[in-house]
Amino acid sequence: MKEYYPLTAAQRMHHNWIRKYQTQQVSGVSVVASLRAPLDFGLLKKCIQLETERYGCMRVRFTKPDEKGEVRQYIADRDTRDIPLKDLSGMSMEQADALMQQWAYETFDGDDIPLCDVTMLRLPDGYNGFFIHMDHRLIDSCGLVVMINDLMQLYTHYRLGSAYPQDLADFETVLEKDLKRANNEKRFAKDKKFWDDQLNALGEPLYADIQGPSVLEAARARHKNPMLRAADIELKNLFVEVKDYQLEPEPTKNLIAFCMNHQLSMTNLLLLGIRTYLSKVNNGQEDITIENFISRRSTHDEWTSGGSRTIMFPCRTVISPETDFLSAAYEIQNVQNRIYMHSNYDPALIEEEMRRRYHTPENTTYESCYLTYQPMPVQVDNPHLAGIAQHAKWFANGAATKKMYLTVSHTPDGGMNFSYHYQTAQLTEHDMELLYYYMMRILFKGIAEPDMSIGEIMEQV
Amino acid sequence: MTQEMQFKTIAAQYCGVKPEDMTNDMRFREDLGFSSLDFMSFLGELEDTFDVELEEEEVAQILTVAEALTLLERLQEE
Repeated sequence: MKEYYPLTAAQRMHHNWIRKYQTQQVSGVSVVASLRAPLDFGLLKKCIQLETERYGCMRVRFTKPDEKGEVRQYIADRDTRDIPLKDLSGMSMEQADALMQQWAYETFDGDDIPLCDVTMLRLPDGYNGFFIHMDHRLIDSCGLVVMINDLMQLYTHYRLGSAYPQDLADFETVLEKDLKRANNEKRFAKDKKFWDDQLNALGEPLYADIQGPSVLEAARARHKNPMLRAADIELKNLFVEVKDYQLEPEPTKNLIAFCMNHQLSMTNLLLLGIRTYLSKVNNGQEDITIENFISRRSTHDEWTSGGSRTIMFPCRTVISPETDFLSAAYEIQNVQNRIYMHSNYDPALIEEEMRRRYHTPENTTYESCYLTYQPMPVQVDNPHLAGIAQHAKWFANGAATKKMYLTVSHTPDGGMNFSYHYQTAQLTEHDMELLYYYMMRILFKGIAEPDMSIGEIMEQV
Repeated sequence: MTQEMQFKTIAAQYCGVKPEDMTNDMRFREDLGFSSLDFMSFLGELEDTFDVELEEEEVAQILTVAEALTLLERLQEE
């Protein structure tokens, strides 16, 4: 007997974006994983089918919305579709990537349908592998990395006789636990109190844009409200460009060392870099909110069950220019640690509460920047495949719900990649250049002189 | 199962150390490999399991398994 479940808060976040922006494209996630080695595609197909059995989230489907617009999820018993093989070996890698980018724009349209497509690939320059295109309500990037590695462990087990991969946690069991926790009244009350207390203490947030105060001023004029503290969201032109910047291994080491020496997490250092930039370009604004994505993967079961667990919460800090860099970093860390403890809460309820209290106009926001720090690189991590060149890459879904979404990840050479996804409706590559340039100047000035005040750093960079 | 073992069984879900191998002098971050997110999620689970309320100031002082167990016992007595 099939069980039907409501959506978790993390799934609902993506689901609400699909409804708001009226396209499933905003919920697409795509990746290619390949090795510069011949692959037995017959065996790979069997391993992908086996992975679909092992990793329950790949079989999740959603019902047709009921009269209230609510959908429920269930896990299909099996997926009997064939796994196609496409030959792109006659192209250049750039052409193949461009084609896969087009696949990443495709949408899953309909109810009660599979929301996961896997395509086996012959790629240029002797690379072979597979392309995965899924709906974000089924999986997040950590889940995809776990899945790719599990799949390749299956392959090396059957092909090379390596150990069979360890059991993955049952998706349905973890889903049930998550839903049970979300329905725990005491837990809910504690989480709600935490978020309400923040609003009680700080009042209504204040929007700070990457392009400076003119954006909020324009929103104030549009809404004929000179006191408005939120700015409009772009709903129509969702086209997104991606600009990547690589930080070399040596300076990366310095950032990591600073974090280790001061028991800071990289996320909090990055948040400090972004918020200081926003403050700098908004006339020293002290009250800044950035949306930060949290993986919500801590236990072994949470790590291996797949699913869409990543969720975003507003990281709001009020930091005066007299505060020294290190103290500011600790202030952010304290806020983030408290958020972690209350990260089972549904962020839609925070937004709802702000709209109730402050009558925030529809389709406006208090945040212009979103951050994901992704410590796990997308690459096949398998000792039996060590030394084999890989071509692995994430593809943007091409439709951004957010004005600027920064993903920071580590690169195989020990450096860091800063991937800026920005809506082209308002932002240009030059805006991203400025953001990256000043973020780096702020961070490296700060780690070199952690006693220097935020105000001085903003002046000097 | 004793409360201490129940505590360690929960902690073991967050790290690679088995409950029976977990000693009370182990530090969450350095010895058990907890990240900030792991630690705060773990504390949330302790609250739900043992029906206690942890204060943020007290939580910030916890470094070892023993310190967390002592705090838990004290909160249950209150």
